[in-house]
Amino acid sequence: MIVAIILCVIILIAILLYNSIVGKKNQIDNAFAAIDVMLKKRFELVPNLIEIVKQYTNYEQTTLTKIVELRTKAAANNLTDGNRNQIDQELGAQVKSLMVNIENYPDLKANSSYLNLQRTWTESEEQIAAARRSFNAAVTNYNDAIMMFPGSIIAGIFSFQKSTLLSNTEEERKSLNAKDLFQ
Amino acid sequence: MHSENFLNTPAIQNVLAEMEITRKEIAKKQIISTVLAVIGILIGFGGYFFQSAMVYFIAIGVSIFIASLIVYTSTTAKDENYRKNFKEKIIAQVLKLYDESVTIRFSIGLAEREFKDTQLFAQDPDRYHSEDLVTGKLDKTSFYFGEVHAEYKTEVRTKNGSTTRWHDIFKGIIFTADFNKHFTGGTIVRPRNMFSGMSTWFSFGSAKPVELENVNFQKTFITQSSDQVEARYLLTPALMERILLLDEKSEETISLSFCNSKVYIAFPIYRNCFEPPKFKSLLNPKILEADLNVIDAMMAIIHELDLNTRIWTKD
Repeated sequence: MIVAIILCVIILIAILLYNSIVGKKNQIDNAFAAIDVMLKKRFELVPNLIEIVKQYTNYEQTTLTKIVELRTKAAANNLTDGNRNQIDQELGAQVKSLMVNIENYPDLKANSSYLNLQRTWTESEEQIAAARRSFNAAVTNYNDAIMMFPGSIIAGIFSFQKSTLLSNTEEERKSLNAKDLFQ
Repeated sequence: MHSENFLNTPAIQNVLAEMEITRKEIAKKQIISTVLAVIGILIGFGGYFFQSAMVYFIAIGVSIFIASLIVYTSTTAKDENYRKNFKEKIIAQVLKLYDESVTIRFSIGLAEREFKDTQLFAQDPDRYHSEDLVTGKLDKTSFYFGEVHAEYKTEVRTKNGSTTRWHDIFKGIIFTADFNKHFTGGTIVRPRNMFSGMSTWFSFGSAKPVELENVNFQKTFITQSSDQVEARYLLTPALMERILLLDEKSEETISLSFCNSKVYIAFPIYRNCFEPPKFKSLLNPKILEADLNVIDAMMAIIHELDLNTRIWTKD
């Protein structure tokens, strides 16, 4: 009888631990989906940016072409998560460089549509950075759960794998200095 | 600090000197009133030892006590006027040094509804008082702050029935400013202590604990939010550092909430701010220092939290 009770308690604890780990794993998926949503929102800003910039300058064609290419790549459905992240980083760098060059075009700089777009871009950068931080927090939470005892036993039995953190701190640091674009 | 020089200007020194005369009059009368009240009570009780003349003792004691009340009452109008003058001629003028738009309304405070809306306090108040509402706009950011005292009551059973006891929910200043980013959910940052730590284990509502990367911030505060991503969008690494610096300047740990497009910051202060001294000299600069420091700290928040930076879609 006592053995049966102990066994029941062990099974119950195992079920709770398993559910908790699955819950944490799902949080990672949720957090990743949030990054994806933010990235898509940012990719959608690109055509408007190109349209506005084209009206005012013919000198930034190379950058514009590069941005359009990256936007087209980002829209493709067969991208891996890593590729999408890399494209986003490249796109971010190109747009920032474009915005810095736009300082030389006072008419464009004063255009209200451009200013609005610039603000939206900055906002979307911070939202992406926040979504990435949220993803990393979810990953840390999950990794702690599967690596610490007694979660490690359940993780071993059900082959839960360690998840990888997004290591784009440099990018995040840059986005914190987005204010520079407005000077 | 703007206000230090302001107090040394001849015009303000004259105002303070005038008010000091009134203060001395009020203080003198109130001391006389208190002394009379004590004498009256002692004489009244003295009748107990002189049974034969007890009636006379009580009559004299009551008369002196009534006289003390009359003396005290004669100071109330003057006292009220003295408080009003202090707030209008000193506090209001100090506030104007920061911006012409900054005004103070003495009898108005933060509405009780808004106090509850801050979501900073777990309990609704049974007794609520707020006064000295300061409003204004510094550059692009509108703000207001006021003194708040919110209490809840408990009933304690005694031999003779029950007694009501009042306990503080919050006493201090609540500062509110228009936040520079759009957000839709609610994010709350509370001081970390055993109670707040335990409350996060049982957070069944929409607000879930948010684990942030800043170790010092995590040690000092507990953050809860209805949206994990939005909480991190608001609490950027830079803002967390700024909040920690702001907290260092406060005697007690501050609390913050981001809701209704605003940031609310609660500063616990256990004394009554913006009140003139009655039994200490107004001419002693140290006496006014505490209030001036509070004003200075409040007016610096917008700059310290960088709320005038409007590079996002919110103007």
